[in-house]
Amino acid sequence: MRQNVYTVAQINSYIKNMFTQDYMLRFVMVKGEISNCKYHSSGHIYFTLKDAKGVIACVMFAGNRTGLSFRLEEGQMVVVGGTIDVYERDGKYQLYAKQITLDGAGVLYEKFDRMKRKLEEMGMFAPEYKQPIPKYVRTLGVVTAPTGAAVRDIINIATRRNPYIQIIVYPAIVQGDQAVASIVNGIRALERLGVDVMIVGRGGGSIEDLWAFNEEAVAQAVFDCSIPIISAVGHETDTTITDFVADLRAPTPSAAAELAVYDFAVLLERIAAFGNALNHAMLAQLKKQKNRLEGQRLRLKYLSPVSQIQQKRMYCMDLEGRLTSQMKTALTQQRHRMGLYAEKLKGLSPLEKLHQGYAYIEDIHHRVVNDVRKVKPEDRVEIYVKNGIIQAKVEEAREETYGEGADIRADI
Amino acid sequence: MAKEQTLEQTFEKLEDVVAKLEQEEISLEESFKLYKEGMKLIKSCNDRIDKVEKEVLKLNENGELDEF
Repeated sequence: MRQNVYTVAQINSYIKNMFTQDYMLRFVMVKGEISNCKYHSSGHIYFTLKDAKGVIACVMFAGNRTGLSFRLEEGQMVVVGGTIDVYERDGKYQLYAKQITLDGAGVLYEKFDRMKRKLEEMGMFAPEYKQPIPKYVRTLGVVTAPTGAAVRDIINIATRRNPYIQIIVYPAIVQGDQAVASIVNGIRALERLGVDVMIVGRGGGSIEDLWAFNEEAVAQAVFDCSIPIISAVGHETDTTITDFVADLRAPTPSAAAELAVYDFAVLLERIAAFGNALNHAMLAQLKKQKNRLEGQRLRLKYLSPVSQIQQKRMYCMDLEGRLTSQMKTALTQQRHRMGLYAEKLKGLSPLEKLHQGYAYIEDIHHRVVNDVRKVKPEDRVEIYVKNGIIQAKVEEAREETYGEGADIRADI
Repeated sequence: MAKEQTLEQTFEKLEDVVAKLEQEEISLEESFKLYKEGMKLIKSCNDRIDKVEKEVLKLNENGELDEF
C-alpha cells in the first residue's frame, strides 16, 4: 500500500483549515498565567499562557490593544479571549488574543492583600507619618482625570465652600497601563508647585479600573509627598492601598473637597464671634471696674471729714430738737400747774374778800389792824373796801368774842 | 521674620485672649491691653483672607498653568 506523501505546507494548510472550520475555536476564552511576555516595538504583545499541565502561545496584535486595560506582567492570572489558529510558517497553533482581563477579583484581592501586608510591614501606613490636613488652605491641588464627575464634584464643592480658593488640577490618566506613571507625576508636579493640600483620586469603577491606586509606585509617591494628601478613590466601599498611605482618606471625591477646603462663611462667622466675645468681655470688665470704682467712691464718701461733720451736725440738730421739745413739754406742765394754783389762790385772795363786804384795816403805819387791842380811840386808820379807802378815826375799841376767834369792830 | 501664623494659630491666640479677658481678677490696664491685642488679631485674620475669586488652573506637561 502506497501512502500519500504531502508537503509540509500542504499538511499545515490542511490543519489550519481544520482549525478554521471549528466553530468553537473561532472564539474561545482561555484562563492561565502569563509568562514570557514581550511587548514588541511594533505594538504587538507576545506571551505564553500556562497552567500546571501545559502552555499555549499567544499573541495580541497592536490593533487589538484596546482589549487590554492594564500592563501584562509575568505571573498574572488572566482570561484571554480570542481565536485559535495555526501559524503555518512555524507549524504552530496559537491564541490570537482580542481581549485580556485579569482573572477574577480573587487574584486581584490576593495581590491587594499581599501589597497591603508588604507596605504595612514597611510602616507606610503608620499614624506617626500622617501629616495633619491644614485647616485653612489657599491652594488645592487635584490629581485626577480632567473629565468626569470626580473633578467636577471637587471643583464645585471646593469653590462653593470657598470661592477664593485656588484650585490646580493635574489632568492624570487614572486607569490603564499609563495610569501609575501619570498619577506619580501628578503628585510630584503639584508638590513642586507647592500647593497647601492635595486630593488624589478618581470616581468609582471596577476593581480593575481602580487598580492603579493599589500599585506600589503610587503608594510610594503618596508616602514621599511632603504635602498632605487626601485620597478619594471611587465610592465609600472602595478601599485602595493609596487610602491607607494617604494622610487622610475621604470616602468620595466630594467628601475630599469638603475635608480639604474650609467653609468660608463659617470662617467669617468665627471671626465675628471672636469680635463679639472680645467686645463683650471688655464691656464686662469696664462695668466691673466701674462698679468697683463706684463702691470705693461711696466708701470714701462715707469716710470723708465732710461726711463726719455732717453726721455730727445732724446729731446736734437732733439733740437740739429733742431738748426743745422736752423744754416745751416741761413748760406746759408747769404752766398748767400754775393755773391750778392761781385758781386756788383766787379763792384765797383778800380782794375777793373785800368784794364780799369785808374790809381791810391799816393803821397810819400801814400795819394791819386785825386785833382790837392794836388801836385805841382817836387813832386814825384806813379802811380798804372793794372800791376805795376810807379814812376813819377810832371812837371805841372793845373786845368781843364771835364764836371762833375775835374780830375787829370799828365804829366809823 | 518668624513664620507667619496660620489662621488656626491666630484663632487659638484669640481664644486665649478672650479667656483671659473674661477672668475676674484682671486690671483695667491689662484688659485694655488684651482687648487691643484681640482686635489686632481679628484684623489680621480678616486681612489674611484673600478675597479674589480664582480661576481653576490646569497644569500642563511643561509644568505651566493654563485655565482649566
